[in-house]
Amino acid sequence: MATRFADVDVGHDLHTLTLTLSGDEVKRYAVAARMPGGRFMSDDDARKEGLPGQIVPGNLSLALFSRLIAESLPDATLKKLSATFRGLVHPGQPLKIHGVVTEKHCTDEGDRIECDLVLESQEGDRLVTGTATVQFPARR
Amino acid sequence: MALDFDRSIIGSEFDRTVFAPVTKDAIQEYAAASGEPGANEVTAPPTFVVRLRGHRWMPENMPNLGRVGFDAGKDIEFGVPVRVGDVLTAVSTVHDIYEKTGRTGSMVFVVLRTVVTNQREDEVAVIDQKMMFR
Repeated sequence: MATRFADVDVGHDLHTLTLTLSGDEVKRYAVAARMPGGRFMSDDDARKEGLPGQIVPGNLSLALFSRLIAESLPDATLKKLSATFRGLVHPGQPLKIHGVVTEKHCTDEGDRIECDLVLESQEGDRLVTGTATVQFPARR
Repeated sequence: MALDFDRSIIGSEFDRTVFAPVTKDAIQEYAAASGEPGANEVTAPPTFVVRLRGHRWMPENMPNLGRVGFDAGKDIEFGVPVRVGDVLTAVSTVHDIYEKTGRTGSMVFVVLRTVVTNQREDEVAVIDQKMMFR
């Protein structure tokens, strides 16, 4: 596990999260995140909104990216997180969330790295893509 | 056809909401549901800020784009962490409206920026919500 800036090089792979969200987990997140909309609550409610079934909120995809960073770089602090929602993510769908370090910088504010992030389906469809800026503690 | 609207809407504030103090229960509920580590009993995980809902999510004088809207993405710049007892204020503005043409035709993007501060006026987060209309 990379815990120091010096341990991380461009091209370093972050952990890979593999998971399948249940409909109840998605609903629980939507309630906790105060996201109104039947589309996050159940298949039936989502169909009333013209969708094929219950969908995962984009904000939960952001949280999964944040979790990936925290588990891969536990001593670092998340400074920026971006996500582009490219396709619908559904409960019951096996997901793979992974990332790679693309840049390293020593700045006045500290040592930072940039990462590219992807949430993809089992079939390899990139449903959510993103980037993160992460800062390491000051070197002693 | 070029996108035609009154550009004075860019930069205009359309919502300012002061929220009730952040509770331990709210932090724990969000952390458990998101599975996001990095939090403890008094500090929220980074994406906790997405649960803040202002009074309005769009300006009342939003141009009629005549199309269906989708959530296209979100950028968050994090400041100081959210802690139990924080009184958060969220101020939302129309940050940008622009048109892009892709393989599937033209799309209009609306970027709504929300700046979140705490009771000490420390910046907690800057959230850019991107909506796509096609």
